[in-house]
Amino acid sequence: MIEFDELHGKLVLKLVYYGPALSGKTTNLLSLHDRLQQEGRGELMLLDTTEDRTIYFDLLPFFYVAPSGFRIKLKVYTVPGQVRHDATRKAVLQRADGVVFVADSRISQMAVNAESFANLEQNLTLVGLDIEKLPLVVQFNKRDLPDVVLEAELRETWAPTGLPVYMASALQGQGVLETFQAAVEGVLKSVDQKLGLLERYQVDQSAFVQSVVKTI
Amino acid sequence: MNEATSHIEFIIGEEKRLSEIVSRAEIEPLLRSGLKLGILRATLLDEDDLPLATLGAAPSADRGEPLQKRLPIMVEGEPKGTLLLEPDGSNPAFEALARLLQEALQLTVTNNLKRMLTTEVHTSIVQESYDQLVSTNRRLMESEKRYRDLARDLEKKVVERTTELQQAYQRMLQQEKLAAVGQLAAGMAHEINTPLGFIRSNLNSFAKYQNRMAEMLGLYRLMLDKEASPEVIRRQTEQRWKELKLDFLLEDSGVLLGQSLEGTDRIATIVAQLKNFAHLDGMEQQPMDIRRELEQLLAGMAAQFPPNTRLTTDLHQLPLLTCRVPLMVQAFANLIDNALKSRAEGLELTVRAFQDADQVLVCISDNGCGIPAEHLPRIFEPFFTTREVGKGSGMGLTVAREAISGAGGSIEVESVVGQGTTCRVRLPQGTASPDHPDRETP
Repeated sequence: MIEFDELHGKLVLKLVYYGPALSGKTTNLLSLHDRLQQEGRGELMLLDTTEDRTIYFDLLPFFYVAPSGFRIKLKVYTVPGQVRHDATRKAVLQRADGVVFVADSRISQMAVNAESFANLEQNLTLVGLDIEKLPLVVQFNKRDLPDVVLEAELRETWAPTGLPVYMASALQGQGVLETFQAAVEGVLKSVDQKLGLLERYQVDQSAFVQSVVKTI
Repeated sequence: MNEATSHIEFIIGEEKRLSEIVSRAEIEPLLRSGLKLGILRATLLDEDDLPLATLGAAPSADRGEPLQKRLPIMVEGEPKGTLLLEPDGSNPAFEALARLLQEALQLTVTNNLKRMLTTEVHTSIVQESYDQLVSTNRRLMESEKRYRDLARDLEKKVVERTTELQQAYQRMLQQEKLAAVGQLAAGMAHEINTPLGFIRSNLNSFAKYQNRMAEMLGLYRLMLDKEASPEVIRRQTEQRWKELKLDFLLEDSGVLLGQSLEGTDRIATIVAQLKNFAHLDGMEQQPMDIRRELEQLLAGMAAQFPPNTRLTTDLHQLPLLTCRVPLMVQAFANLIDNALKSRAEGLELTVRAFQDADQVLVCISDNGCGIPAEHLPRIFEPFFTTREVGKGSGMGLTVAREAISGAGGSIEVESVVGQGTTCRVRLPQGTASPDHPDRETP
């Protein structure tokens, strides 16, 4: 959690899209930006990139004001996937409230996914976050491409982890909202457990989620 | 992350106030342009409606209710400031001008925010790289210190061990020397006992003979005192002479004295040899007659020969070798001693000394047990021994090699198990002939 200001009734949350290089993290954010209502969200801020590759991060903020006047700001970030940007990933991952792991569905990318997931686990430990407690959603992107691993196979592989798994095509806009919604629900549920948002500030989870994922 | 206070730490996504993003110096030129184009008063308010920058005429009471325009300035999609503009009368372009100013300010704010965010990430990365460097450096320094300590301790330990070894070596050398002296003493005692035995026996006999001779002389004196007739004297003394067996006594006395003198000579020789050993530590370089020393040595060690030993010697007269003589004698003694111990009986010992090209060669061979091939490379090591525990401490060959190399020579050992061993000692050719020893040795 980046910030919790009890005095002014304000909360700032962070959701990070993590994953290997070119798995479609920025595309996920672009798709969300295109599909969600402008009301209640800010502009997508794409920091300097070279050849359309993220080298710092992308940011998409969302806002929600509860009937009590309590304000929640959700900042959604992507990290650079390339191996050499590990320090940036670590910096962005600090104080995250939830993570969406965007994997590449292609058969050829399975090793890369595994490597990136291991990197996520390692970096979470390094920044002092517990992967067991942190809301984490897995998205298998690029389902529109040929030579992808079968969905049944993926689900079977990931079932033991208990993590919610979504199939998506960020380019086509499929599964993007579902993934995002699951992640937002996870984050809010976890924060509610810690801060008692509903009791103290009458922040209704479903109202928040509905507000955030309102499509055009 | 390192918690050192000197670190600038950024949390990516931390909320920022408008005043943190843009400075007065950046805002004022924009507002001033607005004033030039017909805006009476321009103010940028922060999120708490406090002015960050204000330009233009102060509101005057006589102007009445001003026609103010409020425009939001967004940060990350959230209104974080307000641009407050007051038109100069009824400027038709005011609306457009207000939008333009808002756009310009918004662009500055957004660009600044982007710059700040990238700077934060960059700083975090640099900080982390620096932390890693510092920690790597610390680990390196720790490991360097560890190795330095280790190296220092190691050096100390090596010195300690070397000293211990040297002391042990000296002790063993001393023991070996004592053992050698003990053995020598036993041999010498035996050598001295024999002549001493017969000298004592001879002297006992001579004492009895002397009594009888004194009796005979007493008889003569008595006869002369009585003034007896020559006939009586002749008869009586003749009879007593025979009774006392003086003919045999006189003859045997000569033999006894001759033998005893020879015995004392033998003892004298042994004592002289002992003196050589006694001066083992006298390290003066002296000319050495190899042939004579070998002969004396073999004679001195004869008592230690195993039963049925056949000794073959081929000792040539050689030029004198300048060396520490007692040490060299000890070296040869050790080599011969090894040969003597290589066989319980029936030893065939061959000792040769001859000139070989520009060197002197001393070969000592035996037909003893031999040395196994795997032991050969180790025989010159201090303390190396193939004998049972307690029987010598090895080192005979170590001492021998030290003495030989000290004299500028070398030793090689050839051995076949069950057939025997040959030690070949090569020594530099002496500088003087034994008949004219060159006493002025270097």
